[in-house]
Amino acid sequence: MNQPYISIRHLSKKFSKDFVLKDVNAELQKGEILGFLGPSGAGKTTTIKILTGQLRPTSGEAEVLGLPCNRIDETIYEQIGIVTDVSGVYERMSVYDNLKYFARLLNVPLKEIDPLLKRIGLYEHRKKPASRLSKGQTQRLILARAVLHEPKILFLDEPTSGLDPSTALEVHKMLLELKNEGMSIFLTTHNMEEATKLCDHVALLNEGVIVEYGTPQEICLKYNKVKKYKVQLTDGTKHFLVQSPEASDQIAQWLCSGIIETIHSCEPTLETVFLEVTGRELQ
Amino acid sequence: MKASERNPASENTVNIPDTRVLRLRPVHLRKLAAIAEVKGKVLFSKNFIIMPAFSLGFTLLMKVIYGAAAQGEFNTNVYALTLGVLMNICMEGVYCTAAALAEEKEKNTLRTLMTSSVNGLEFFIGSLIPVVLMSTVVNVLCIFIAGFDMGILQWAAFLAVTVACSAISAVIGMIFGIYTKTQVSAGTITTPALLILMMIPLFRGFNDTLEMISEFLFTGIIYNAISNINSSLPVTDVKGIIILAAEFILSVIVFLALYRKNGFER
Ligand SMILES: Nc1ncnc2c1ncn2[C@@H]1O[C@H](COP(=O)(O)OP(=O)(O)OP(=O)(O)O)[C@@H](O)[C@H]1O
Ligand SMILES: [Mg+2]
Repeated sequence: MNQPYISIRHLSKKFSKDFVLKDVNAELQKGEILGFLGPSGAGKTTTIKILTGQLRPTSGEAEVLGLPCNRIDETIYEQIGIVTDVSGVYERMSVYDNLKYFARLLNVPLKEIDPLLKRIGLYEHRKKPASRLSKGQTQRLILARAVLHEPKILFLDEPTSGLDPSTALEVHKMLLELKNEGMSIFLTTHNMEEATKLCDHVALLNEGVIVEYGTPQEICLKYNKVKKYKVQLTDGTKHFLVQSPEASDQIAQWLCSGIIETIHSCEPTLETVFLEVTGRELQ
Repeated sequence: MKASERNPASENTVNIPDTRVLRLRPVHLRKLAAIAEVKGKVLFSKNFIIMPAFSLGFTLLMKVIYGAAAQGEFNTNVYALTLGVLMNICMEGVYCTAAALAEEKEKNTLRTLMTSSVNGLEFFIGSLIPVVLMSTVVNVLCIFIAGFDMGILQWAAFLAVTVACSAISAVIGMIFGIYTKTQVSAGTITTPALLILMMIPLFRGFNDTLEMISEFLFTGIIYNAISNINSSLPVTDVKGIIILAAEFILSVIVFLALYRKNGFER
């Protein structure tokens, strides 16, 4: 297999006395989306800061594009894009000028700015000072700035927190498009739906410890100890069955008589898994 | 294996990337030009343009007031020019540099720059260039406003001395900028320094200590330069040049020492 884009091995981080990351291991393969899912204070931002060279790990290793994270320099910054929870824009400058500035810094041809503006739906606002954008528009501008130079890896720290659901959906759509174009994404979130929908691999992070790691389906199936089914019959009645020989017979009988309108298995979600493993809510 | 205990001192601080160490890295002219252009535009925004406008207005005001008081008996233009140039070099250099750096921190754009392949040296030089340019243009305008006559050689020497002084005060501004997180605090923290830098040469006549300090201060060198031009003496001497060079190097060293610890943030 190819070398992973990001590999994190036994990574720990201590602030004064407390460990905020403990023996974290994870990998991001090319073209994948890896998510760190965890509640506030779990250590998500700290992980991103370490991976992007903004903080030193206390112990362990992390490599980004083959380079140890404490040696990250401009050549790596030219190949990654970063959106943090505090990413800023130049408020006095227009939307276009914001992108133009970074295009010049990152050696991107200026003609690529307009198509990008159209794509993020800010083309009509390109002459507005960035201070007059709405929250969602600002977030899109920040995202556009981060992907302007077509980075190999995009780091996103809670890309949709504080956005309304429809703007969040737009951001999700854009991220999936970017992924389809081959971009690899490392994101953090405390939203389990977001993680399930976007991520190829998820790490459930609680108090600096990864309590589960795998594809969202794997993780959920692993906790699918008691299988449950939800059945709606053609007469409108709803039935909730827990796996048992009787339940199987019942379902088989309904199937034979062709009176099943809908039938669903009820797997646990990442949220219920998180609750089960840590006893804590995500949000 | 242990990338660990390497940096225990800065454990509690959120470090800027390793690029903060002003290692000998290539400075890309393309990036430098982009930074200098954006930083230059900032100097024309309303929070910053007040400073040069104030220096120019003050020069004009002093010319009128002094001129009226002297009733043409002696040439007062030198006073107006000295005040205007000192004020400009200190305010544009120290305050504007510090406030512009503080604003980048306040709006979280500095970190974005530093993680978008800009290195510390590029940011440093790119920030200094427009301040020194702006400061020089204002100094030249002050000369015209004050109505000061100079020969070509005097012009050249005056420009050389003022450019050097603007550069020194801009580096001092950068040093203050490291300690400030907001534009407002940049104003508060730089004011005492501005007053000291300006007042020492102006009050040098009051006692020997002030006179002595003034002789070794870059603002004192500017003060001397203008009175020398006025009396048709050489603008500065070898001692003056050495002091300017030494103070420039010293301020850069102090800046580097602070920068090495925590980058542009503290
Ligand atoms: N510079 C610092 N000094 C000391 N402690 C810190 C520092 N930065 C973060 N921490 C602590 O580390 C822990 C993890 O913080 P982090 O910002 O990584 O959490 P997070 O998962 O991003 O949370 P959120 O969802 O709220 O953004 C927190 O307990 C926080 O208080
Ligand atoms: Mg966070």
